Amino acid sequence: MWTYEKRLQYPVKITKTCPKTAQLIISQYGGPDGELSASMRYLSQRYTMPVKSVGGLLTDIGTEELAHMEIICAMIYQLTRNLTIEQAKTAGFDAYYIDHTAALWPQAAAGVPFTALEFQSKGDAIADLTEDLAAEQKAKTVYDNLLRMITDPEVRAPLKFLRTREIVHFQRFGEALENTKEKLNEKNYYFYNPEFDKQMIGY
Amino acid sequence: MNVQHLAIASVPIQSWGSIYDSSVAINKGTIFQDLDLPFFAADKDENQISDSKQSGKADAKQLEREEKMMQIYETCFVVDDLRLYLDTHPKDDQALQLLKTNLVRRRHLLDDFSSNFYPLTMDCMAEACGAKSYSGCYCWQEGPMPWEGGCV
Repeated sequence: MWTYEKRLQYPVKITKTCPKTAQLIISQYGGPDGELSASMRYLSQRYTMPVKSVGGLLTDIGTEELAHMEIICAMIYQLTRNLTIEQAKTAGFDAYYIDHTAALWPQAAAGVPFTALEFQSKGDAIADLTEDLAAEQKAKTVYDNLLRMITDPEVRAPLKFLRTREIVHFQRFGEALENTKEKLNEKNYYFYNPEFDKQMIGY
Repeated sequence: MNVQHLAIASVPIQSWGSIYDSSVAINKGTIFQDLDLPFFAADKDENQISDSKQSGKADAKQLEREEKMMQIYETCFVVDDLRLYLDTHPKDDQALQLLKTNLVRRRHLLDDFSSNFYPLTMDCMAEACGAKSYSGCYCWQEGPMPWEGGCV
């Protein structure tokens, strides 16, 4: 189960209203490489992982991704909490405003709603961990793109924190893949699916 | 005999290296100097979390609360990063030692914050209720919501 700790993992204190910035970073809430996708991906994949410690790592990273989603949401909230109708109209936030006012709703920067189609839970440890490595790379690229466009230091600081976390998670998933490989037949990692053909492990 | 490991991704296993001090680590996003790989477009930023001290608007109690909260952020982040490292390096003595130190510190800081301000976890409710008396105290809802940016 989960319990709530009443603080963010990294502090967010944004004083300047900017709906345009909110519209960009919302992608890391509900977009294809966002934190919600990341969390659901890892927390879905963990149940059938053949190596126990990898299931544990997916739980811990999936949990951290929930905290990252909260950081992103706090940023969007603070960027729009004092929004005037004029600001909403002029900053490209108008369409979002019509549907959600200044509330939080998971969507990509281009308006596509959050969907489970953005991630996989394939039931094959190598396939899933390889997806997880790619997911961290893609999320890092989004943070790079955001850091090129956004100048407000109060927004940049949490974005940089989150970008580094993607790199750390990539390293951990890589190590998890190495740990999984150790349990497999090193002459042919594809002889069986360790997540389904459990009787073959150690073959 | 050398087996060629083809058609599979490989990532080198990290070995224990230089560790950032907790006050630096949270600004970097990792405690591991070897994993601090900044982006050129953000490399020159000043990486400092802003607090009310700089704006000069807050009273002494608020400043004290922010300072204590910052210590919680720093210590808990060391725990977060070590947890993932230990998930893939469960026998690393240096990591275990650092985890132990920071877990004790985390507990102490959370209890202290709870007694002086408001509880951050349900477990801290005992501390908060003990310090303030039970009558009319459902202190779980005290303090700003985390997304308000009011505490740090």
